[in-house]
Amino acid sequence: MLLHLLNRSPQSLSVYRELGEAFGADDHLLLIEDACYAALPSASAALEPFEGRVSVLAEDLASRGLAERVSPAIAVVDMNGFLSLTESHQRCVSWF
Amino acid sequence: MPMLTYALLLHAAPYSHQAALSALRFAETVVAGGHRLKTVFFYHDGVHNASALMSPPQDEVHLADGWKRLHEAHGAELLVCVAAGLRRGVLDTSEASRHGLAVHSVEPPFELTGVGQLVDAMLANDRLITFAP
Repeated sequence: MLLHLLNRSPQSLSVYRELGEAFGADDHLLLIEDACYAALPSASAALEPFEGRVSVLAEDLASRGLAERVSPAIAVVDMNGFLSLTESHQRCVSWF
Repeated sequence: MPMLTYALLLHAAPYSHQAALSALRFAETVVAGGHRLKTVFFYHDGVHNASALMSPPQDEVHLADGWKRLHEAHGAELLVCVAAGLRRGVLDTSEASRHGLAVHSVEPPFELTGVGQLVDAMLANDRLITFAP
């Protein structure tokens, strides 16, 4: 059960592809920094392999003006939510 | 939730990429959440976060001071990869004198150290979280 941290926009297709190959059934994905752009409904294809197991960081959404544009399938978490995800997942892998 | 120990690994230079700020914000959340931040390891371009010469405008976040505050208030050790630092001119007084240099840019509580300390931090802490550009 891994927490995957991703900070690249969906334009970095190869990172999303490699992450999709490594993503386990009980894993969770947190989108931070430029990966917030993947939370837009128009980018939903990039997140298909992770459906239902994706969160996005509220502060990074807000700083990009995306707070009101998140796909409803994605959970929005604040920094405390980020911390909680690291509490509940023993290992955390960063993709960049 | 029982208290966990955290180590952070930072690869990103300050002010070049959001990762340096993300790491500091996360570190502050760790201690505010009742956990122990034991080690921050600055690696690759992340060594620039340890520069004592960092002088951002007063209305911007001072990243090096942020790390220093976490050391002073919570005892987080601030470890800087010596090999990455030497290559980039990020070195303390003892390395400066060893290399015959008149100036240095790293002061305590930042410490120059080897990658072995990173391995120790990975093994000794409950969580290792990496922030990279």
